[in-house]
Amino acid sequence: MEFLDNKIVVKRELSDLDIFTIDFIRLLRKHSKYVIVSGYVSILLGRSRSSEDVDIIIPKMESIIFQKFLSELSAAGFYCLNAETTIYDYLNNGFAVRFARVNNVIPNIELKFAKNQFDEISLSKNIVVALNQDELVISNLELQIVFKEKVLCSEKDIEDARHIRNIAKAHLNSDMIKKYEVMLHGL
Amino acid sequence: MDSEEFRRKNQEERFRFIDLWSKYVLEHDDKNWSKQQNIIINSCLRSANMTKEQYLFMKEKNRR
Repeated sequence: MEFLDNKIVVKRELSDLDIFTIDFIRLLRKHSKYVIVSGYVSILLGRSRSSEDVDIIIPKMESIIFQKFLSELSAAGFYCLNAETTIYDYLNNGFAVRFARVNNVIPNIELKFAKNQFDEISLSKNIVVALNQDELVISNLELQIVFKEKVLCSEKDIEDARHIRNIAKAHLNSDMIKKYEVMLHGL
Repeated sequence: MDSEEFRRKNQEERFRFIDLWSKYVLEHDDKNWSKQQNIIINSCLRSANMTKEQYLFMKEKNRR
């Protein structure tokens, strides 16, 4: 694993979760900016655990563009688990929608529109992970760490944050971490 | 050992493993650690056997 300016290079053996995520992202990135957040970020950086879902934030999208994206997802063999007829309205009302491959439930993508300043920060202050021949956009690690340590706070999240801190310790901006700790205090 | 003591020791042990594993990741080639990580990831995903309804119910329950 190599940390460059705003880029992390990982030349890893791909897991089923990586392949699933890459397939989804190849379709999504044609239509929208996106950022991957939460558990899959730590897994991508080597954390020794699995996850059944991958969390992705996108900016609010016009309905017509989203419908085109949905058609391509459907043609590629994905379906929505939790909002079969009104997916766009569901997203627009602040809910997340889940996509899996047809006849599967796990793994799935949990997709949501950005709805607060932290989602917007994740989208704008991102890092590219060069994963073999592909690229995935993830949230900046400082925000991921603080969000997991101060907001989510489950055992799994604390452990994810510890792993990211260990892996990226020479590259983390401690001032940024302090800034996010203040911003997220009491959220 | 009471339950609080057990929980604390268990957490310490888990942290020790996380530190050990992240050191291993940094010191070894990506192909090496990812091959081991994939055993966990792929076996979890391939053994998953839930219906859509069971899965969504579980997620909703965890959220509450």
